[in-house]
Amino acid sequence: MQEKEALMHCNPTRRTFLKGTAATAALAAVGTCSVAAWRAEQAEAAATGAAKIQGASLCNGCSSKCGLIATALDGRLWTVEGMKEHPYSKGTLCGRGHGAAQWAYSDGRLTQPMKRAADGSFVPISWDDALSEIGAKVQEIIAEAGPEALAIIQDPRPSGKYYSKRFMNALGSPNVYTHAAACNLSKESGIQEATGAQNFSVDFPNTKMVVFIGRSYGDGIRPSSVKSLAGAAEGGARVVIVDPRLNNTGVFATDWVPIRPGADIAFLLGIANVLVTRDLYDHAFVEQSAVGFPEFAAQVTEYTPEWAEGICDVPADTIVEIAESLAAAAPACAIEPSWRAAFGCAYQNSFETARAVCAVNALLGCWGQKGGALITSSPKAGDVDPVKFPEVPKPAAKRLGDAEYPLALSGTGTNLAVLNGCADGAIQGVFFYNSNAVQGYAQPAKWREALSQAKLVVTIDVQMSETALASDYVLPECTVLERLELPEFIGGKKHYVALRTPVIERIHPETRPCDEIFAGLAEACGVGEYFDFTVEELAEAQLASVGTSIEEVREAGIVELADPGFAFGTPTFKTPTEKFQFASAKVAEAGLNPVIGYVPRLVEPAEGEFSLIGGKQGIHSHTMTLNLEALNAISREYQLERLWMAASDAADLGIVDGDTVELSSSECSGQVAVKVTERLKPGVLFLPTHYGGTSPYLTRAQGFGLNMMDFVPLHLEPGVGSTMSQEVAVKVRKVEG
Amino acid sequence: MVWGSMIAWYLFLAGASAGAFLTSAFVEAKYPDSVKMRVAGRIISPIFLGIGLLMLMLDAEAGLHNPLRFFYLIMNPGSVMTLGVYFICVFMPVSIAAALLEVLRRPVPKWLTWTGIVSAFCVAAYTGFLLGVVSAYPLWNNAILPVLFVVSALSAGLAATSLVGLITDRERFEQMWLIKKSHVILSAIEMVVLATMLIIVSSGSPEGAASVASLVSGQYAPMFWGGLVLLGLVAPFAIEGYPVFVTRKVETSTTSMVVSVIGEGGVLVGGFMLRLLVILAALPVLYL
Amino acid sequence: MARYGMLINTKKCVGCYACRVACQMVNGLESDEAFIKFDEMEQGAYPNVYAEVVPVQCMHCEDAPCEAVCPTHATYTTDSGVVLVDEERCIGCKYCMAACPYGARIQIKKTGVIEKCRFCWYEGEPGNPPRCVGTCISGARLFGDLDDPQSEICQEIARTNAQPLAGDLTTAKIYYVR
Repeated sequence: MQEKEALMHCNPTRRTFLKGTAATAALAAVGTCSVAAWRAEQAEAAATGAAKIQGASLCNGCSSKCGLIATALDGRLWTVEGMKEHPYSKGTLCGRGHGAAQWAYSDGRLTQPMKRAADGSFVPISWDDALSEIGAKVQEIIAEAGPEALAIIQDPRPSGKYYSKRFMNALGSPNVYTHAAACNLSKESGIQEATGAQNFSVDFPNTKMVVFIGRSYGDGIRPSSVKSLAGAAEGGARVVIVDPRLNNTGVFATDWVPIRPGADIAFLLGIANVLVTRDLYDHAFVEQSAVGFPEFAAQVTEYTPEWAEGICDVPADTIVEIAESLAAAAPACAIEPSWRAAFGCAYQNSFETARAVCAVNALLGCWGQKGGALITSSPKAGDVDPVKFPEVPKPAAKRLGDAEYPLALSGTGTNLAVLNGCADGAIQGVFFYNSNAVQGYAQPAKWREALSQAKLVVTIDVQMSETALASDYVLPECTVLERLELPEFIGGKKHYVALRTPVIERIHPETRPCDEIFAGLAEACGVGEYFDFTVEELAEAQLASVGTSIEEVREAGIVELADPGFAFGTPTFKTPTEKFQFASAKVAEAGLNPVIGYVPRLVEPAEGEFSLIGGKQGIHSHTMTLNLEALNAISREYQLERLWMAASDAADLGIVDGDTVELSSSECSGQVAVKVTERLKPGVLFLPTHYGGTSPYLTRAQGFGLNMMDFVPLHLEPGVGSTMSQEVAVKVRKVEG
Repeated sequence: MVWGSMIAWYLFLAGASAGAFLTSAFVEAKYPDSVKMRVAGRIISPIFLGIGLLMLMLDAEAGLHNPLRFFYLIMNPGSVMTLGVYFICVFMPVSIAAALLEVLRRPVPKWLTWTGIVSAFCVAAYTGFLLGVVSAYPLWNNAILPVLFVVSALSAGLAATSLVGLITDRERFEQMWLIKKSHVILSAIEMVVLATMLIIVSSGSPEGAASVASLVSGQYAPMFWGGLVLLGLVAPFAIEGYPVFVTRKVETSTTSMVVSVIGEGGVLVGGFMLRLLVILAALPVLYL
Repeated sequence: MARYGMLINTKKCVGCYACRVACQMVNGLESDEAFIKFDEMEQGAYPNVYAEVVPVQCMHCEDAPCEAVCPTHATYTTDSGVVLVDEERCIGCKYCMAACPYGARIQIKKTGVIEKCRFCWYEGEPGNPPRCVGTCISGARLFGDLDDPQSEICQEIARTNAQPLAGDLTTAKIYYVR
C-alpha cells in the first residue's frame, strides 16, 4: 500500500478521480479483491468512471485516535488501513477501528435534531429552533443561578475538547469535565501525585521484565502497544499478568498471577516490602531523586509478603520471587502503568494503587531508564492570532467538585460532581459531547434521576444513546470520516501532529460537525463572538504555530514535529518537590495518608457472594460501539456478552456453560448467559462492560447482555471522585428452564 | 448444518421416484393385469422427481437467480453431483416418456423400460453416494449409506405405488403377494442396514459417535425412534408382515385397509425422516 | 510459478477480530457474513491454563475437497495455488460447504453464491498482502510463496515448525504456530 501516493487524493473538495481502468488498476495495486456481490455493485460505477478517494483521518473507535487511511469508491467508504507513520497504529487497525469506520452508514444514527416532547417521546426539531430554545434556557439558568449552574461532560476528541471547554468558559462556567472519573482518573491522578506526570510508558524494546496489573493490551487495544509487547515477548522479556482473569494478553505472558479483585495494592506493597527489607532497591534513586522514602520504608515494613498473601491471595513465595526477579532485571523492568482496568476508577484504593505502582518502579530505579518506565513529553499548539481567536476569560468560580475531590486531575475533574450537582440543584444545565455518561459512568438509574432534576440537558452525539434519551435536546453530529477536526498532537519519544480530514460526504445532510454545533450554540447563548472563525481557520493557525499546514498534514497523514530530545536517564519530576514523591503534601491536605500505603477495598464480598469485575473486549469501546452492525454481529456470533464464571464455582452451583443465571447486587438483578472457564479466579465473576443497552433507538444493543454499572452502588472514591466501578458484591443463581 | 429439509425432500423424492419406476416395472413383469398400479408407479415417478428437482433448484439460490448456470452442472464428471445430473438426464426423460405412453395407453417398449430400470438404480444409488463421498462427515462418509438409501428408495417407491394400488384397486392389490413380501423384506433389510451403519459410524470416530448419539439418545431421538424406526420401519414391517407371513390370508376389511394405509404412509414418512435425520445429525470431523 | 500460502501464529493472536472486519469491508460482505472465523480453546485447569484463539479461513488446500465436489467447476485452483470461486458459475448447491472440513465456506445472502477467502485475489494476483495479513495488529499473520525457500514465510515456517491445522484432513496451505 502506497500511502504517499494515496494521500495525493485525499481532499474531497478537490478530489482527484481515477477513472475506469485506472480505478481497477488502483484496486489491484492496493492488493485487494472483491467478491461478486460487491463487484457487481461496483461494476457499473467502474464502467462509468469509478471515483476512488483516499484520505487521512484518525480513528474514533476509542480514545487512542490511531492514524488511518480511508478509501472510498464513488463516495462510499470501502476500506480503512492503519497509517504506517502514526505511532499508535503503525500500519494496522484493530477490529474496532474497522467497525467504527463504518459508522457513517449505521442505521442507528441520529439524522436530525430531536427534542423531548411533553409525553417523553422525541420529536424532530429544526436546528434553528433547537439552538434558539437551548439558548433561551441557558440565558434563563445564568440569570437565575449564574453560569456556575452549567456544566459539560465530554470524552475528549480533537475538536470536542477544545470547543466544549471554550463554549463553557465563554458562558462563564468552569464546569468542564471529561469521562475520566469512569475511566483512568484514579490512575492518572495517582501517577501525577507520585511523579508529576499523568502517565508513563514502558520501554518495551529494551525491557527484561514487565508486570501488568489488570491491564490487557489484547483487550483494550492500541495496535502499537500490542506490537511492542509482542516484540518484547519474542525478545525473551518476562511478562507477568496480574489479573483475576487470564485475559487476551495471555498469549504473550510468561506468568499469570490470579489475584483477588481490588487487592492489587497489597501485592504491590508486598513487592515493595521485599525490595526494601531485603535491600534490593535503588539507593541512589531514592536518596537523590525522591522524597518521603524514610517514611515509606518505615511504613512498608508492615506489608510483608505473608500479609499481602492474606489480602490478595497471591502466595507469599510468588510475591518474593517476582520482587527478586524485578530487582535482578532492574532497571530494565517496570510495573506497567495501566489504564482503566483494575485501578483506573475501580476501587476505593485505586488512586493509592497507582501510587504504589510508581513506588515499586521508584524502588527499582527504573524511571527514565532503558527498559524501564519512561516519562515523555507532549507537544501542543503554539499561540494563535488573539484577534481572530480571542482568548476566553477564565471563569471566576472554581469547578464544582474540585474542593471535595482535590486530587482529581485538573484537566478532567470528576464528572460525578455533575450528577450530584443536578441532584442537589447546584447544576441546572448540562451538556454532553461524545459521552454516554448515563450508561457508563455510574448507575444509570441515578443519572436519569439526577438529569430529570436539571432544567436543561443537551446531548451531542451520532446516535440516540442512553444519555441522549435522558436529554431535552439531542443534536446530531456527523461521523469522523465526514468531518475536519482540529489538529491532534501526539507525544512520546517523538512528537507528531495529525488531522481528521473528511473522506466521504455527509450522509445525512442535517448532521453537523462538532465545531459548527458549538459555534451555533454559542451564538444562540449570546457568546458567539468567541466562535467567529471556522475549524479550518483555527486548524491552519494551530498548525502554522508548529511549523506545518493543513495541506502538509493532509498529504502526509501525519507530520513529525521538532525533536523533543528525549534521552534515557532519571527524568525531572514535575511534582511540587521536583522529586519522586513517596509522600505527598497534597494527599495529606486531602485528608488521606500522605505516604504511599495500604488502603482496603470498600465492598468485600460476603460468604456466598462474588466479586464482579468488568473489562473491555477488543471490538468495543465503552457502550458506544455496541450497536454498530459489524461489531455487534461479532458479539452475537461469539456470545461475547456472557458472564464469565470459574469452572469450579460453576460446578458448585450446578451451572454449565451456556446456562442462564440471575445476577444480583444491592442495586439490581438481571439475567445473562454464562461462559464457564478455567481462565478466572474462583469467587470472581467477569462481565464485559459494553452490554445491556436500553435505548430503543439502538436496536442491536438494546436488551443485549447486562450493563455492569446497573449493579454498582453510586459512590465516589475519596480524594479523586472516581466512580469505583468494581466496588460491588454480587450473588448469582441458576435460572431453571 | 449445511443443508436442510429442502435437500432432504429432494433426496427422498428422487429415491422414491426411482423406487416407483422400479415397482411399476416389477408389477408389469409379474402382474401384467395390475394396470392401475403399474400406471400409478409410472406417473408417480416423473412427478416425484420433478418436485424433487424443483426443491433442489429452490435450494440452489445462485442458480435460481441465474438459471442458465444450471447448464454448468454437467461440467465436472469427477463430482457425484454431476454424475447424478447425468443419471437424471437419462432417467427423467425415460420416466416422462413411459408415463406419457401409459397415459396415452400405448405400450412402453422394453428397451425404454430397461433403460429406465438401470438409470433408476443409478439415481437411487447416487443420492447415497452424494453424501457418501463427503469425508468431512462420518455419518455420511461410509459405504453403507448408499446401500441404505437404495433400500429405502425402493421401499418408498413401492409404498407410494402401493398406496395408490391399495386405494384404487384393492382387490387386486391384496393378491400381489410378491409385492407384499418384497415390502416386508425391504423393511427388514433396511432395519438391519440402518443398525449396521449406526454401529459402524459410532465406533469409527468421536464425531460419528456424537452424530449417532444425537440420533438415538440426543436431540433427534424422538424423530429417530418415533418417525424413522417406529413409523417408518417397525410398523410397516408388522402391518405387512403379519398377513403375509403369519396369517397368510387376504384381508378385505376396512380396518385392515386403514392399517395398511398407515403402514404405507409410515414408509413414506420414514423415508423422508431418514434423509432429514442423516442431513441434520451429521457432525463434521474436528480440525482442531 | 509461486505457490501462495499463509502462516498464522496463534501465540501472537489476541483475538481482536481486525482480520474479520477488514476482510468483510474489502469483500463487501454483510456484518454477519465472514470468511474468517475463530475457535477459542482453553487448555489445562485453573490456574495452569493456556488460552488460544485460532483464526480459521479457507486453507487453499492442494487437494481441495470443495473443488473436487463442485459440479459446475465454479471452484478452481489458480496456477499459483489459490483456490477461487467463479461466481458466474456457482449455482449455490452448497456441496462445497459440505465438503470443506474446515467449514470455511459461506453463502452470500445477496447472490446465493458460496464464497470464501480468496487471499484477496484480484485481477490475476493475490493481495500483497491480503487484508487480514496487512491489518493484523500483532504480526500474527504472514503471507508469501511457499515454494520460495528464501521467502519470509518459508523461513518463519521452518523456524517455528509451523504445521497445518489438521494434516490428515487435507493438504492445507495455511500453516499454524500453536
